[in-house]
This record gives sequence, structure tokens and C-alpha cells, in this order.
Amino acid sequence: MITTVVGSYPKIPDPPASGRWRSAKEKLEQGEISSEEFLQVEREVTLEVIREQVEAGIELITDGQIRWEDSQTYFARGLTGFTLNGLQRWFDTNMYYRIPVAEGEVLWTDPISVEDYRFAKARSPRPVKPVITGPYTLARLSQNRYYADFEDFVLNLALALNQELRALDAEDPPLIQVDEPAILKYKSDFPLFREAMITLTEGVRAPLALYTYFGDVTGIYPEILDLPFDAIGLDFVAGPRNWEVLEKAPFEKWLGFGILDARNTRLESVEELVRALDRVSRYVPLDRVYLNPSAGLEFLPRQVARAKLQRLVEAKRAALGVGV
Amino acid sequence: MIPSHLFPTTTVGSFPKPPQLQLARRKHRRGQLDREALRDLERQATREWIRRQEELGLDVLVDGEQYRADMVTFFAEELDGFRIAGMVRAFGNRYYRKPVVVGPVGRRRPLLVEWFRFAQSLTSKPVKAVLTGPYTLAEWSFNEYYPQRRELVLDLARVLREEVRDLVHAGARYIQIDEPAIHSRPEEDFELAREALTVITDGLEAYTIVHICYGDVAKIYPSMLRLPVDQIDLAFANTRYALLEVFRMYPFTRDVGLGVIDVLQRRVETVEEVVSGIQRALEVFTPRQVFISPDCGLRTCTMDVAVMKLQAMVEAARFVRTMIP
Repeated sequence: MITTVVGSYPKIPDPPASGRWRSAKEKLEQGEISSEEFLQVEREVTLEVIREQVEAGIELITDGQIRWEDSQTYFARGLTGFTLNGLQRWFDTNMYYRIPVAEGEVLWTDPISVEDYRFAKARSPRPVKPVITGPYTLARLSQNRYYADFEDFVLNLALALNQELRALDAEDPPLIQVDEPAILKYKSDFPLFREAMITLTEGVRAPLALYTYFGDVTGIYPEILDLPFDAIGLDFVAGPRNWEVLEKAPFEKWLGFGILDARNTRLESVEELVRALDRVSRYVPLDRVYLNPSAGLEFLPRQVARAKLQRLVEAKRAALGVGV
Repeated sequence: MIPSHLFPTTTVGSFPKPPQLQLARRKHRRGQLDREALRDLERQATREWIRRQEELGLDVLVDGEQYRADMVTFFAEELDGFRIAGMVRAFGNRYYRKPVVVGPVGRRRPLLVEWFRFAQSLTSKPVKAVLTGPYTLAEWSFNEYYPQRRELVLDLARVLREEVRDLVHAGARYIQIDEPAIHSRPEEDFELAREALTVITDGLEAYTIVHICYGDVAKIYPSMLRLPVDQIDLAFANTRYALLEVFRMYPFTRDVGLGVIDVLQRRVETVEEVVSGIQRALEVFTPRQVFISPDCGLRTCTMDVAVMKLQAMVEAARFVRTMIP
């Protein structure tokens, strides 16, 4: 069993510590600091959140997505063909993103996330996994004003992001994670989704994880197991029906076991997490489990996020009978 | 009660706080300034904003929310049953102190009545009372207490009903309920949000408004027209009026608060562009239906920008009025 995170981490610490990222962003917007100076702050904050994950005992970490404005913008601004429009709520959360609008051909010209991945990897004492927003979700949460239809749009994005995955692959990551929460809301699109995932992952050698959250995979399981990924992440907090799913067919991949609520402050007890691990072990051996929160942790204040990660690590130790 | 001319102008509720008030709030948090001294500055800033709104020529005024940190935290701090969990990001660098429900929610004392009375005493124009709605308060808080969200939302609605009853009793003729979270989970929750709003507005002797912004309005249209209010106030400018397309399919049967100012942009709209926005909207709405307002609260703009944006808005409304026979 490997403890990990799904991706994002709170960018600012709790008061009274100063929210350095926040004030730097304000200064950037006011034109008081340059984008290089802001990048410097973002890098310092990245180091801080790497340290927090490592100190909590997480074994496979991310860079905390400190440089992501939101999960759409970070990738859309790195591709050609997109402009950014007004705000929209991100699924049913309290967070918002800018709606990317495809006004021209969407092309990958340069690596988008590789520089950030390199930075985190070089400075982390623990393995770091890169995360990308998958082409289906990116398309679903965007507007298409260029391609003939949605299918065309998704498959072109898959081609573009395949180049991003190949560029990440060259960095020799232990795992590359693709986030596709939107497929849970449009399950009848699964045939298109399958095609997009095949295009997306072509020629990538690193192990791959497909993460879903904010719902369950009833209706697309066990088909989802046929996709070219080594691990599938499921959210058992927002998607309790994922338990029923596991009854349906043997889970032959690694499971990203999202059991710790990333969207509520209530701190789970070690006992309830151990019970959940015990229950999931009836379907997937624990040596094929990534133990992680249900989603990114940026929905929580920093101190709560940290406490939750510590709890996750305690649960792993307790479940394996290792002294804390 | 309703302004007699077409296109009455108003705002969504919040205005930026003057620098000395922001400083005073920080001092108060650190225990370096007492509550009464802070109150004095809040009253002074409210007085200023009432005067400014009159100068701008707005028709329906607001108190400017100089005493609120943000639209959720203020209510959580004033009501029983909440504590503050910490800072959570909404987008960009906009954070709010997200509350957590830890017990049954309840009202210790009126929240807004005193501020309403004070603001209304300063002007002969009507002052609109603005409250964050029960669904949004629940949705934008963590919940560690109520087993079902439904109970929390309806308890909050009953608390807010007491508050609007007191406000109307104090003379409020316009009541606005802010429900920006109403389309978070429409399939599951829209009926609950509507039921909660009904608890608040049922039989109320006031002109009622629900303010909704930044979400998937298409998903709650046309069921949105069944909300128990006189007016639905929406953000149009932020998405370059793309929302108008949604309303072409089915006639909009309420008054509309037309958001013509993008509060997230520093750039001040020109009068011409606001006029053209209103004209586009008149392809979908009749002139009698339309109130003119910004997309959302102006809290995060600078003072200068907020005032200039409102100038453009009021001038555009005046201009469009002259074009309607």
C-alpha cells in the first residue's frame, strides 16, 4: 500500500502566518511585481507544500499544484487555440474556474507542466507524480467554437495532451496521473472516452493512473478496467456506490482508494479508515492500493489538510500492524 | 415603491471598504482597536457610500456591507451553530474564511436591522436589505453537525425568515436573497433551494429579489422561474452576455436584474458598451422587466474603479431610457 494525494494542496497557510502566495498574486495583478518575482514565490510555496506532505509521511507526493490557477486554465493557456472567458463553478464545489474557449486549432507546441514537474522532482526527497487534466474533462468544461463537434474537439485535445504525456514520460516519473472527473457526469460518452484515453496514452512508458472523483463509476464498470491505465482512482466519499461496483467484477488493477473526505473538515478516525481498508481488501489486495483523499485538498484550510494527511499515514500503519 | 421610470438602477450589495477601515479591521482582529471604534468607522464608511450612491443617481440603494468580511463569514459569525474553519480559495486570489456548522443554527439577535435603519435614515431613496440565502450558507460551509443537508438548509431558512420579517417591520421594501450556490447540484437540490426560499419570502410584504451568479444557469432554466421572488438578478457582463441565449428558448416571466458590469475586471466599461449590452438584453426582455445592476458585489474592486464603473452604468441606463418611447 502506498499513501498518496490526488493533487492540489492549500496555497496559503492558516492565519496568523502570512498568505505569501495570496499577497504576491495581488501585487502581480496590481503590476507591483514581475511575473519572474511571482514565479519565485510560487516555487518557495511549492517547496513548503512538498515539505508538508513529506513530513506528514506521504510516500508519493505531488507539487501541490501551486502554479495551477485552476485545473482548466493551467493547461488551456499552454495550448494554442484557447482564450479564457468568464467564471464557472467547478463541478459542485465552492471553487470556480475560467471557461476556456476553443477559437482555433488546439495544438501542443511546448511542454506545459514539465518545467514545474522537474522543479518539484529535483527538490523532493520522496517520489513525485505529475498530474494532468485529461482531454475529456478539459473539453467538457470548455466551450468549443472551432471544431465541427464535441467528439472532434475531445480527440484533438487527446492528441495534443498525448504530447504533454510523452514530454512528462521523458522525465522518468514513477507514475503519471490523468484526472477525468467529468466522465462520471456523462457516462454515455464512454465509447468516445475510451478512444480519447487510447490516443492520450499512446507511446507512454511510465505507469499511468486514471483518477475519477465527485461520483461513482456505476454504468462504466468493469469497462473502465479495459482502459490503458495501471491504476484507477475512485472516490468512495462522494461515490459510495463504488462499493457496489467492486462486487461486480474482479478489480485487477491498482486502486486509488479515495476514502478520506477532501471536502469536509470532519477528521476521520484511524478506526474508521482501518475498517474501510479492511473492507476494500476483500476486493483488492492491499499491496495494490494507493491510499489517498477523495480529491485534491485545496478545498480545506491548510491545517485541516495537514491533519488529514497525517491521519491517512496513521491509518496505513495501523492497518498493516506497524507501530506508529 | 418601485421606481416609476424604466430601467431602475441598483447594485448587488457590497462596496469596497476605504483603506482606513481595512486597517481598522486588521487592528481590531489583533485586539488593538475596540469594537465601538471599529463601529464608528463602519458607520462613517456607510454614510459615505449612501452619499456617493445618491450622487451617482442610483435608484435603489444598499448599505454597502462595510461591516461584513464577506457574504458567508458575516452570517456564520453572527449566528449560533457555526465556527470558522479557516481560509479557503474560491478562485484567483479570492479567499474566504470558510465556516463549519458544529451545532443547531439559530439567531441570537437581529443581524441587519440596525444597519438597515441606520442606512435608511440617511436617505429618502429606498435601501435594499441584502442577505445570503440558506442554500448558499449551507453549501459554502463545512457541515460536521447535521446528518442531512436538507435539515440544515431549512433550519437556516427559518432563521432568515425571522430576520426578513424584522427587516420588513423596520421598513425595508426591497429584500434581496443572494443564492450564488443555487445551481451547484441542481438535479438533486434545486427543489430544496426553492422550498427554503419559499420559507423566507412567503407572504412577505416587500419586493423580493434572488441574486444568482457564476454558474450553470441553463441547468436551472426554466425551473428557475418558479422561485418565489419578484426579480431574478443575474451576471451577464462576465460571460459577454452569453446567458441571453438561454432565455430565448422560454419566456422569462419575472423581472430581471441585468448584470452589466464585470466586477472581476479592473477595466472600466464604456457607456457605449453598457448601452449595447442593455440593447442586446432587450431582444429577450421587455423594458418593464429590467433593473440595471453590476454582475455581483463590488467589494473586491478599488474605490475609484467601483465608482467609475457605476458612473458608466447609471449613464448608460439614462441613455437607454431616452430611446424608449
